[in-house]
Amino acid sequence: MSELHRVPRATLLRVFWRCLFLQASWNRRGMQNLGFAYAIDPALRALYPDRAERLEALRRHLGFFNCHPYMASAIVGGAIHHEERVAVGLEPRDGPLHYKSTLQGPLAALGDAFFWTALRPFAGALAAAGALLVGWQAIVVALVLYNAVHLTLRVGLFRAGYAGGDAVVVNIGGLNLQGLADRLRTAGAALCGVAAAAVVLTAVRVAGPAGAVLAGVSAVIGYLALARGAWLMPLTYAAVIAAVSAAAVVLHLGGAG
Amino acid sequence: MGVRDSRSVVYTTRVLAYLALAIVAGLAAVERKGFLQAMLSRPVALAPITGLALGDLQAGLLLAAPLELLWLGAVNLGASLPAHEALATVAITGGAVLSARALGTAVTADVALLSIVVCAPLALVGRSADQRVERWNDRLAERAEAELAAGHPRTAARTNLRGLALPFAVAAGLAPLGAEVAARMVPAVIRALPSAAAPLRLGFLAFAALACASGARALRVRSAPGWFFAAFAGALALGLVTRGVHS
Repeated sequence: MSELHRVPRATLLRVFWRCLFLQASWNRRGMQNLGFAYAIDPALRALYPDRAERLEALRRHLGFFNCHPYMASAIVGGAIHHEERVAVGLEPRDGPLHYKSTLQGPLAALGDAFFWTALRPFAGALAAAGALLVGWQAIVVALVLYNAVHLTLRVGLFRAGYAGGDAVVVNIGGLNLQGLADRLRTAGAALCGVAAAAVVLTAVRVAGPAGAVLAGVSAVIGYLALARGAWLMPLTYAAVIAAVSAAAVVLHLGGAG
Repeated sequence: MGVRDSRSVVYTTRVLAYLALAIVAGLAAVERKGFLQAMLSRPVALAPITGLALGDLQAGLLLAAPLELLWLGAVNLGASLPAHEALATVAITGGAVLSARALGTAVTADVALLSIVVCAPLALVGRSADQRVERWNDRLAERAEAELAAGHPRTAARTNLRGLALPFAVAAGLAPLGAEVAARMVPAVIRALPSAAAPLRLGFLAFAALACASGARALRVRSAPGWFFAAFAGALALGLVTRGVHS
């Protein structure tokens, strides 16, 4: 056994950059396998000067892989941590694969629950409600906030995975993302309510009480219909047809009166 | 000669507009899944970007909030494919801007609503296209394995980037097409039914209100209905009181 050979910092930066392309060739057979192999390839080149060893290492990482794209940074970093040990014989060759297969499922579930169903919808609702109340500046603020969290976590997870390998689980557990997700979803729902009120107030300004009733009914009936399982697209077309027809009748009666 | 020149300018402007739509839609399709995923392809960012690319930021801002809230639940969970909100957003915004240009006006709520009605189904067309893209990517995975077996690790790894091409091409082709259909249909409807403009404007507000409900439904937490309706009622009451005080 020889001394651990560390992947150079510049190579780690390259790997992180390539992590951003993790889903470029998402496919049904290996899902993010091509993306993972593409991301880790510079590190493998640095660790395995021997061509045959490098080919074998890359083949390892061309197997099935699927995780949340942000959380996968931790696994890419951790896989390099394990490959450094494999390269000097401190760990068996299937060590990185065990690491990947153990973490990908739980991190995918956590990433989907936090980023895709909580933080991003919250940021979207914040941007939308802000755009209705304040203007374009709110969109910029919401995007900056979202990406500050997203990129900080993505970089931090990659570094934690590389530094600690399996210990990254402890780092992620300490973030309490699940509890935070519920609070973000609740705040997002409230922001949607504020946005609906802003739309109704615009309707009051544009068309008086009749317009306000039309918009308000659309929000309430729409929510109840969606809660009962109505499909979004058919419901949208039905709502538009009903609203335009009702508005035509109201405006006609108003004109006749 | 002057007429020919002005036609040439109109033609060039139109071609440039479709080119801009194709590039914006293609890049958004790539950002949406294949690279970065920093919310730049979400409707709330993409509608203003599309408007800006066509020289009409206000049109993008008019559409940004309702389209974002309508498709707030369009998320890529595991192997499930959501509606292609980015493709539809570019087509809707592009269609609205080009329709308004044809009518010689700014983008108003009636034009925006009709553009939504015409182009929104592209979100479902885009989802079908995504399924085909995934099948195409299966072939890329096979190709990467073959390159590795042939002893070409670098080529095998770089095969990943080829997966960006097809989503770009699909969106770059479909978004301008959708915008063109809208740019032909919307002005025709508005010219044929001028009395429909006012009801359509109210219809846009009803659509925006429904989009808010759709956004709230996308946030799956037990307390969401209570918070949605409480915030709705509270903000509405506050707005009406403030309005009363000011008037």
